[in-house]
Amino acid sequence: MTTNQSEPGAGEGEDEVAVDSPTEDAIEEAGGAAEAAEGTEPTGPGEPDPIAELAQRFAEIVGAESWSADHGLAKIKVTNADWVSAVSTAHQNGMPFLSFLSAIDWSQTVAVGDPLSDENVEERYELIIRLSSLASDDAITLSTDLSKYHPSIDSLVPVLPGADWHEREAAEMFGIEFRGHPNPKKLYLPDAFEGYPLRKSFPLLSREVKPWPGMVDVEGMPESESGPSTENPEATDGAGVEEEGAGDADA
Amino acid sequence: MQTLDPQAMAHISEVSVSVELQTADMTLNIGPQHPSTHGVLRLVAKVDGERVSSVEPVIGYMHRGYEKLAEVRTYPQITALVNRIDWVSGFANEIPFVVAAERLMGLEVPERAQYIRLILTEMARISSHLIFMSSYPLEIGAATPLMHALRERERVLDLLESVTGGRFHPNFNRLGGVKPAAGAGAQTKKVVQDLPAGFLADTRAAMGKVRDICDDLEGLVTGNEIFQARTIGVGIMPADKAAAFGVSGPNLRASGPDYDLRKHADYLPYDRFDFEVPIGRNGDCFDRYRVRLEEIRQAASIIVQAVDSIPSGPLQAKVPKIIKVPEGEVYVRAENPKGEMGYHLVSDGGRMPYRLKVRSASFSNLSVLPWLLEGQLVPDLIAILGSLDFVLGDVDR
Repeated sequence: MTTNQSEPGAGEGEDEVAVDSPTEDAIEEAGGAAEAAEGTEPTGPGEPDPIAELAQRFAEIVGAESWSADHGLAKIKVTNADWVSAVSTAHQNGMPFLSFLSAIDWSQTVAVGDPLSDENVEERYELIIRLSSLASDDAITLSTDLSKYHPSIDSLVPVLPGADWHEREAAEMFGIEFRGHPNPKKLYLPDAFEGYPLRKSFPLLSREVKPWPGMVDVEGMPESESGPSTENPEATDGAGVEEEGAGDADA
Repeated sequence: MQTLDPQAMAHISEVSVSVELQTADMTLNIGPQHPSTHGVLRLVAKVDGERVSSVEPVIGYMHRGYEKLAEVRTYPQITALVNRIDWVSGFANEIPFVVAAERLMGLEVPERAQYIRLILTEMARISSHLIFMSSYPLEIGAATPLMHALRERERVLDLLESVTGGRFHPNFNRLGGVKPAAGAGAQTKKVVQDLPAGFLADTRAAMGKVRDICDDLEGLVTGNEIFQARTIGVGIMPADKAAAFGVSGPNLRASGPDYDLRKHADYLPYDRFDFEVPIGRNGDCFDRYRVRLEEIRQAASIIVQAVDSIPSGPLQAKVPKIIKVPEGEVYVRAENPKGEMGYHLVSDGGRMPYRLKVRSASFSNLSVLPWLLEGQLVPDLIAILGSLDFVLGDVDR
């Protein structure tokens, strides 16, 4: 019943694909030899985009599968096997600053409150690390996909000690195993804690016990979705009231 | 009294030097509730005599799970959440989040709103650094600066409050601009309120006072022999180590790198103002203190420049009544008082974020602690800890 997604219903599977599709296209492109020429495609035609150039340059340096440069985010996708060497190479080639390491759970099949069944949960994780230069504005995000069944990858700590806490956090929050981590204990959570809170399949208990009053508005959403979504000012009244209510409460 | 035989003495001293004293490591538990830990941080220190042989920070006592909470809240609600991450600079926390959402939505924020954001962010920086200026000398044993620094901080908080209505948690940013200010006569919702009357003049006056307190602190703290003895050459952090651990902000700049996101990231119009980025040379506790003191002056200068040149115009871009953020992924970072604060925002096109990764400065700043404290003297432990200027809410999120 309760949901932590704003769009319950059938469209979710497609959403997931839509999010992925640029990457998958890019993987095919990178399969060809001349990835430099074809790689610029996802960023659009015309003027040279410094972010795209940066992403392309680092994709070559670390030997990446593909890259993208949407919304100013230079994102470079590497394979699991290349993860440690790619991060280490980028780190030593003008990206000394470790901004953060974290993960994203891309499964959208189970919403908060739905009955859980492991077979139905299509979990897939993306591990991301953000490195920046200290001499310029440049910064890149390296990412790699982890499987649903065995989210496991080599630890970065031997090459990048600063990844220690970040990996411990990702491990306890997403259940990702970092092989070779020197101190694989829980970071935030109590030692006896069970489950991985930031997985989409992990229910938010307070929402189970007492559904959010704003639920009414979430239910109303599909109607407003038929129109041009972000531009449509005449969505359900209830939602508008809720917005103002939130503002009042904040003030 | 017997005369001492020099030969016998030499023998004794030789013996005492060559004999390996068997001393067991002692485990010293600091915290979770210790005044110098700025929240609830526990340090499990193994000490060998007066030396710290290893330290393991235990964090998570204040973990509130903001990243999960953000997944079940609408964008306008999240600004109220992120205020509480680093509570001594609540306003500054909001900025990278709203900018991230605005970037995905393609919103153009009106100039005046951007200037107001910038002025209030710098005020948050001054207030945060003045907390440091009061608490850090206190930890080292000087109680007087606290009175002076907190008094001036109150002035800045009054200004923040006059605009936003909140001292700590303004919740003032809206997607596309800022909230119409709660100035005099702002009771009727229909009337669009701007900055409260006299705000600009009051700000100019207050910034003069802030500069004065910096001069006072130079005399009270910087020139203080005891303070110097406790901080100079203590807790040295080399720049490459700092970068590899993600240490950012004044802690990083004290080690040398001239890296300030106000110069390097495009989130507020800082490029229109003339200011210096203070850096240190040695990366010790003293440099970390000096960098922050100078940053207060620079922030005051930025505020005065912004107040002098603030354009008129609307405070809010046109946004739909129901805010949905188009699909996409973006990372926006900002130079917060504590360092780089960023939000990696993933939207699936809905009213709530699909994933919001909060990159908080204190988390990374603190993660260098085990390395930094190894081999240090126990009395220096608190001096080093305090010099990192972290807030546990920012560590635990």
